[in-house]
Amino acid sequence: MTYGELRMTPTSERGRALSILVDGEAVIAYEGESLAAALLASGRRFTRWTAKSGEARGYFCGMGVCQDCLVTVDGLPNVRACMATVKDRLRVETQRGLGDWGVTP
Amino acid sequence: MRSVECVIVGGGPAGLAAARTAARHGVRVLLVDENPGLGGQYYRQMPATFRAPDHAKLGTESLEGRRLIDEVQALGVELRLDSVVWGIFDQRIVALATRDETQRIEAQTLILAPGAYDRPVPFPGWTLPGVITAGGAQNLMKGYRILPGRRVLIAGSGPLLLVVAHHLLSGGAHVAAICEAASMRQLWRYAHRLLPHLNFVQQGYRYRREIKDASVPFMTGHVIRRAVGRSEVTGAVVTHCDDQWRPVGGTELHFDVDTVVVGYGFVSSLELSRLAGCEHRYEPGLGGYVPVRNREMESTVPGVFIVGDGAGVAGSAVALEEGHMAGLTVANRLGRLLGRDHSREASRARGRLLHLAGFRRVMDGLYRFGPGLYTLANEQTTLCRCEEVTVAEALEAVRDGAGHVNEVKAWTRVGMGRCQGRMCGPALAHLIAGATGKAVADAGIFTPRPPVKPVALAALAREAS
Repeated sequence: MTYGELRMTPTSERGRALSILVDGEAVIAYEGESLAAALLASGRRFTRWTAKSGEARGYFCGMGVCQDCLVTVDGLPNVRACMATVKDRLRVETQRGLGDWGVTP
Repeated sequence: MRSVECVIVGGGPAGLAAARTAARHGVRVLLVDENPGLGGQYYRQMPATFRAPDHAKLGTESLEGRRLIDEVQALGVELRLDSVVWGIFDQRIVALATRDETQRIEAQTLILAPGAYDRPVPFPGWTLPGVITAGGAQNLMKGYRILPGRRVLIAGSGPLLLVVAHHLLSGGAHVAAICEAASMRQLWRYAHRLLPHLNFVQQGYRYRREIKDASVPFMTGHVIRRAVGRSEVTGAVVTHCDDQWRPVGGTELHFDVDTVVVGYGFVSSLELSRLAGCEHRYEPGLGGYVPVRNREMESTVPGVFIVGDGAGVAGSAVALEEGHMAGLTVANRLGRLLGRDHSREASRARGRLLHLAGFRRVMDGLYRFGPGLYTLANEQTTLCRCEEVTVAEALEAVRDGAGHVNEVKAWTRVGMGRCQGRMCGPALAHLIAGATGKAVADAGIFTPRPPVKPVALAALAREAS
């Protein structure tokens, strides 16, 4: 589903345009935006699939409490997208379950 | 270990006001906040990288907040932003962590101003992406000037719903309807008691008129029934409710929306006051369990003060005064504001708090929380969002004899996830009460454990002195 332009102010009033990589796809964000805000503005409404039932979850409380908007950032799982700030070339992945730590137990 | 005269946790209205007052009287203050900028939720500011902020559009609170933040910074308050307080040990040892390292600081006096969060209310579909809280919606629009969606249904209770609608409309979103659970039938009964608080009333009236002009239906006595969609919201169903906000069958209305904003009031963040060992009591009118305090804002633990919505949900005006009061008490304890100078200022603050309490009582009367809302969930509804425990699983444990939230937690994993039960705790207590007939207060609250917010192991491994 597309939601059209969700940013309420012209890009000239926002921070410098940056590019983040979401699941390998380049997404425009603006300096100062939270990762959750940038993802939502690009029409990405879910950030992860849950561990047990595999259902989609996304931004809910928006203030770091609910732990639902978790993403994997630069290889580090379980980052709260609402509390993280975008940086140029940030590598973001939609997280599956508890996340892939890149280590074998 | 470093020792600081006054550590304040939380940079919203209460924490900022406390910092300003204490610092003005010469107290060395360290202010910690988890966010990259000060302001908290109510005074949330746009990022410094954004240009030309139009304060008129953002509402007066943004400008008010900017002024207070500037004052606090000018007073030389030491700031620790992007820093989460993950534990409190031995009553006043504050453990904070950034992404990279942790630090323990001894607080000679500790002011907790952790704020509140939207009361989580489980209903069918509440975990779907596209269902967001009123606070979350405000954060996006006030903080980042981003709309949460294009076609939005707002359901909840209280004046905040009008503010959310105002921001949505000003950003060009379509607001399908506002469902206010309260009947509002008593508005006229309270009219005379609202007279001393005309500034609040006028603001509310302006929002109501804007909503009327935009032809947005304002449906009193209605609650969200369910959010509809497979992997994200594509619609919402609302229904009539009774005075206890219990959904009344039969009358269902469907809306084609991509976003549902839910705001049924707030509950205090208690994890830090609980870790500090403060005593709490149950006050449904203030959101549930709240810390016990004396009139100088001190908790039952000497030297630990709790102010603002984290000590019972009462809004920003009260938070400012309570923060100020705690700042005065701390300055007094540290010998910077003594005798008549202190008592004069404290008595003025008390007078203002008393005045605000009058307004609070009217709001409580109009928007008294209806526990019938907790019957919205059915057996298949997810209760614990983290551990994916359903209402049926929790109820089974209750039927088997679990009578306290911590017992249900041990049996089912409800509340054992990353949010530490902040999302499911209030609903679970009501479920237990409903199934057993005991009082909600007796179903208890989850025991918080450090780290109360997720901290990277790498950060814990590196301790700054």
